[in-house]
Amino acid sequence: MAENEQTTHFGFQTVAEDQKAGMVHGVFTSVASKYDIMNDVMSAGIHRIWKEAMMDWLAPRPGQRLLDVAGGTGDVSFRFLERAPGADAVVCDLTESMLVEGRKRADAGKLADHLDWVVGDAMALPFESGSFDVYTISFGIRNVTRVQDALKEAFRVLRPGGRLMVLEFSQLPNPAMQKAYDLYSFNVIPQMGKMITGDRDSYQYLVESIRQFPDQETFAAMIRKAGFENVKYRNLSLGIAALHSGWKI
Amino acid sequence: MSNDTVDNAPVYDRKMLEALVCPHTQGTLRYDAERQELVSPGAKLAYPIRNGIPVMLVDEARRLEE
Repeated sequence: MAENEQTTHFGFQTVAEDQKAGMVHGVFTSVASKYDIMNDVMSAGIHRIWKEAMMDWLAPRPGQRLLDVAGGTGDVSFRFLERAPGADAVVCDLTESMLVEGRKRADAGKLADHLDWVVGDAMALPFESGSFDVYTISFGIRNVTRVQDALKEAFRVLRPGGRLMVLEFSQLPNPAMQKAYDLYSFNVIPQMGKMITGDRDSYQYLVESIRQFPDQETFAAMIRKAGFENVKYRNLSLGIAALHSGWKI
Repeated sequence: MSNDTVDNAPVYDRKMLEALVCPHTQGTLRYDAERQELVSPGAKLAYPIRNGIPVMLVDEARRLEE
């Protein structure tokens, strides 16, 4: 790798910026069909509670238009629409196979009319400025090559009065607990990933990328830097995950 | 979705089409029903629609000749 090349993190590896998207794409193409079940096993179902906490804080309202970035199989969008019938959601993800998987779920239900699926990049969204009321990204932003660029795009596509909500793994403020959690995640999760999806490396990437992501305060500062105001966060499960909220005033 | 579209239109939501812009230029797109593409004249790129899902990535787009 040339010294002057822009680099970013891929888990614990340092890779050229132009390589990361392809590598992340590989991870999610590999795990797409078993992604939902793996999330359940890995977090002992707790990711569902976190997503409900996200909805509680968001308080979806009918008539709102949601952009769910890195929305994958549509988990967050489904929850949003269930709470606010008559709202609309666009699921946007870099990985086509995740959307295809999610659409199978939507086709069966009456939600299909209120849901759209688009392959797109969080750093260059294919949407007009000021066209959404809510922007969510759930366990996706740490996979983005340049996080600050994604936040800037979020700010652009939201209309004034619009809201950003990020659900992401975070850091435990208590060092002893963080150590115990690291032990669990580095020893147990890749092994479990191998058992369920046959793909250890993808889950090794997941735990490394979780550890690499900025802590609550650092990330809140990045959100402010993108232009958001009234930025706040809430820890979930002692800080294993965190919700960050910001408003485009 | 809307009743002014022809019945043989592909499984594709026209309302969605209108909401999309070119991720490269943020310019408007033209829908090519025959090729199943969204054409960005400004960027000289054509984004594919696969199985009714628009793929709005520059890397996946077809480059248009001058």
